[in-house]
Amino acid sequence: MAADVHKKKSWEVPNGSLAPGDGQHTERSESPTPGLAQGTEPGMEHSSPRREARGGKSSSSCGLGPPQPCGRGRWAHSSPAGPAPTGCCGMGRGGRSPLHPSPSMGDTRTDAAWPVVPGAGQEGAMFVHTRSYEDLTSPEDGAAAARSPEERRGEPAEQSSMEQISKDFSELSTQLTGMALDLEEEMRPGKEGKLEPSPQTARRDSVLSGKEEEDVTMDAWRLHRKHVFVLSEAGKPVYSRYGSEEALSSTMGVMMALVSFLEAEKNAIRSIHADGYKVVFVRRSPLVLVAVARTRQSEQEIAHELLYIYYQILSLLTWTQLNHIFQQKQNYDLRRLLAGSERITDNLLDLMAHDPSFLMGAVRCLPLAASVRDAVSSSLQQAKAKSLVFSILLSGNQLVSLVRKKDQFLHPIDLHLLFNLISSSSSFREGEAWTPICLPKFNSSGFFHAHISYLEQEMDLCLLLVSTDREDFFTVSDCKRRFQERLRRRGVQHALQEALRTPFYSVAQVGIPDLRHFIYKSKSSGLFTSPEIEAPYVQEEEKERLLGLYQYLHSRAHNSSRPLKNIYFTGPRENLLAWVTNAFELYVCYSPLGTKAGAINAVNKLMKWIRKEEDRLFILTPQTY
Amino acid sequence: MAAAGAAGQEKQLAPTLLSFFIYNPKLGPKEGEEEKKILFYHPNEVEKNEKIRNVGLCEAIVQFTRTFSPTKPAKSLHTQKNRQFFHEPEENFWMVMVVRNPIIEKHKDGKPVYEYQEEELLDKVYSSVLQQCYSMYKLFNGTFLRAMEDGGVKVLKERLEKFFHRYLQTLHLQSCDLLDVFCGISFFPLDKMTYLKIQSFINRMEESLNIVKYTAFLYNDQLIWSGLEQDDMRILYKYLTTSLFPRHMEPELAGRDSPIRAEMPGNLQHYGRFLTGPLNLNDPDTKCRFPKIFVNTDDTYEELHLIVYKAMSAAVCFMIDASIPPTLEFCRKLDSIVGPQLTVLASDICEQYNINKRISGAEKEPQFKFIYFNHMNLAEKSTIHMRKTPSVSLASVHPDLMKILGDINSDFSRGETMDEMQTLQLLQPC
Repeated sequence: MAADVHKKKSWEVPNGSLAPGDGQHTERSESPTPGLAQGTEPGMEHSSPRREARGGKSSSSCGLGPPQPCGRGRWAHSSPAGPAPTGCCGMGRGGRSPLHPSPSMGDTRTDAAWPVVPGAGQEGAMFVHTRSYEDLTSPEDGAAAARSPEERRGEPAEQSSMEQISKDFSELSTQLTGMALDLEEEMRPGKEGKLEPSPQTARRDSVLSGKEEEDVTMDAWRLHRKHVFVLSEAGKPVYSRYGSEEALSSTMGVMMALVSFLEAEKNAIRSIHADGYKVVFVRRSPLVLVAVARTRQSEQEIAHELLYIYYQILSLLTWTQLNHIFQQKQNYDLRRLLAGSERITDNLLDLMAHDPSFLMGAVRCLPLAASVRDAVSSSLQQAKAKSLVFSILLSGNQLVSLVRKKDQFLHPIDLHLLFNLISSSSSFREGEAWTPICLPKFNSSGFFHAHISYLEQEMDLCLLLVSTDREDFFTVSDCKRRFQERLRRRGVQHALQEALRTPFYSVAQVGIPDLRHFIYKSKSSGLFTSPEIEAPYVQEEEKERLLGLYQYLHSRAHNSSRPLKNIYFTGPRENLLAWVTNAFELYVCYSPLGTKAGAINAVNKLMKWIRKEEDRLFILTPQTY
Repeated sequence: MAAAGAAGQEKQLAPTLLSFFIYNPKLGPKEGEEEKKILFYHPNEVEKNEKIRNVGLCEAIVQFTRTFSPTKPAKSLHTQKNRQFFHEPEENFWMVMVVRNPIIEKHKDGKPVYEYQEEELLDKVYSSVLQQCYSMYKLFNGTFLRAMEDGGVKVLKERLEKFFHRYLQTLHLQSCDLLDVFCGISFFPLDKMTYLKIQSFINRMEESLNIVKYTAFLYNDQLIWSGLEQDDMRILYKYLTTSLFPRHMEPELAGRDSPIRAEMPGNLQHYGRFLTGPLNLNDPDTKCRFPKIFVNTDDTYEELHLIVYKAMSAAVCFMIDASIPPTLEFCRKLDSIVGPQLTVLASDICEQYNINKRISGAEKEPQFKFIYFNHMNLAEKSTIHMRKTPSVSLASVHPDLMKILGDINSDFSRGETMDEMQTLQLLQPC
């Protein structure tokens, strides 16, 4: 099955990673390989303990597949044709090379490295193939790691299958855009313990991650609104939003020193405050997350955003694997595993800076006539499969419909991570993707497999089917087909298209002259609604400023020791009102010319309007399979 | 918070001062000499290595934040158990105050469990308290740098030890609130006539006692007139109202026959007496020592003797150049000139004050509670606080409300666009 890709990889990268050192693995691991339950694989020896870590125990999240003879990845493409039968395949999400550890128990060792095609960044197909076990042959990590690339090449059997796969891939042309291939190199297994960045690494920082390298001593770097750093307990950089991790390694070392100093005194560092900025620390062993923010957000809100970053990392690795890695090797360089995922994290941070969903901890629905939404939901509901847990239809970052298994609930954080994943890559438009993903709030120890595809090329309508079984690509893909068929049969496609043309409503519809914008969140459903942001908040900074004001009101209303129910804020450019009850939260922005009495009147009107429109703005009756 | 759950009683422990230290990183730059950096450390019993470690942490925090803003390093550090406040009043001299977060003590299975309340303390309040510590030190000792020039590290350390050893005991951290942020001055409301009388009294006094450089006049612990710069008056006012006056309350309140009263100089012509300086003018051996204060430290750097003289509720501060030591003779002269006039003036003011009160009916509970502060003249007025005393928190509203007011204050001072904010409603304080 070795694809060309695969071959390439195999030679290239010798550096250590968790992955078993054999070349075989080079592909990214894709999935949580359920099938790989220990011992099941032929050829596989015991993988080193560290590999095992990745698995989660949760059976729910990933079914253990029957033992597969070989765990190679299967990739899926829109044309079902090509896929290799065995194995699951993870697709890389655009741009990142995820490594998904397999959740299943034990020894799964699939570490995948991506194929590395230097320079191919944009084009390379990014599927992740799982290697079969055999590939993994490595007896022990050490040994595996020690193997020279040549040795790896010497395992033709595997490769051929890989080739097949990769060929299929290329035919399918599923391409994840923007992956930096170099990253993959990083990921590849190499000798452990060698942490020095290879030349490629350096390149990757500049090229792959797509970030300009910034001089971290320059004012421009210092003045970024919000820095985010992730580091391991050994003080090793894992992620930095701006500037290369290398250049910042000493700064991160200091951060870790501060954290450990206070921990040694049985205390815990929370934040540092200075004029104009704060530094917030969040400790989630084995990681430390730090933000340096010049925004007006409270410490609690910044910490909340850092938790999102933490969950984002878990969604790629699972908590179980993350912990296992660091138990095995404290100073492991996690960037190897996360290489390529920077884009997803960057995108998440950008999204949080202008999308109120994260602040609200809720999801926004696409405004849609109830009858259309019902038709869509029941079509989704009918297109079910045994392994399906959630079927989600979304457009932009708005939810169109969500159907779930009985008694299974999707936490808004998990849904946000899925939205972010989809919005961070345009590659999903190209076909069907099948990718492992951990939903940390649902189960942080295992992977689900997500089938991601757009319904039609031109339409911004993305279908996300979350399955527990990595072998179920075809079944799930068939669900998609059935769903589309039903949609067609019910004749709602046109109405849906129509609704997509105006994904936001105007605040003018409410009919209150001084009203500029609002956010209404229904606490019980975890959904919120909000009109389009219109003039005078046209420019990006203005939009962010408005969100900043909402953040400010939110933080005052939710201050842990001094919560407030009502806040009326009069500023030079707008007036705002916040009202928090047990059932809902409402944040309203008015023109600066109105009065407080007027604002309160307007709230009553607004509430009536929302009630009247609620079946269009919200999903009132969530469906289950 | 006071509600006792079924689990047993909860006890709330107020925030307390854990440590307070002053260091200068330039004094012990080499490894192994870290102890030399430390100029003052409270509590002094702490083991040397721990002192060094804690100072090291502060240096590291400050240095670390300079990565992100070279000119605006850290002001405070929040941890689970405490908050540390940093202040660099003079270049390279750092003052650090560590305040333990309030704790709720619960009992679970018979064992005490401590829960730190991390969001209770307001940074601005305690940063201001720390800045006041410096201002107060400087008022009585001059700048750190001046002490170094006078006699090097040794002299500075002695002065710090002598001052802070006592001053820190007067910090009542549990009752600090928004008023500490303003550190304002309460002015005594007065009609024009009476004001002019006071003005003319001061002019006459300065004329007769020609060595007087500055004068300040207070009534009922409220300021009426001051010749000092605002910032100097602000801290002097704080000293007078929270330390000097309260210490002299007892003799006045004491009955005529009490032993304390007996020590007071019997003077039948007037009620005037020195709050600083000689206790008994009739005793030729009495010492005429007045506290020294330092004002205008940024430019002219003046060193003055502070003479505080009081008759009934009126107090007047005369400040004379430190190069002229006030003699007993001078004190007697002052007493004989100022005493009778001040006594008359004090009763005039009192009479006028009572008339005004009757007219305005100020005795009623005010309809609105407010705190007013004017940045231009530092005028402060609060209907929330009852009379200030040095030790007890006397806000007449729920402490949570005071904290919300503090929150609003910090929002205003931070915000470019925070002009006004209204209508805050508490979510039921428990």
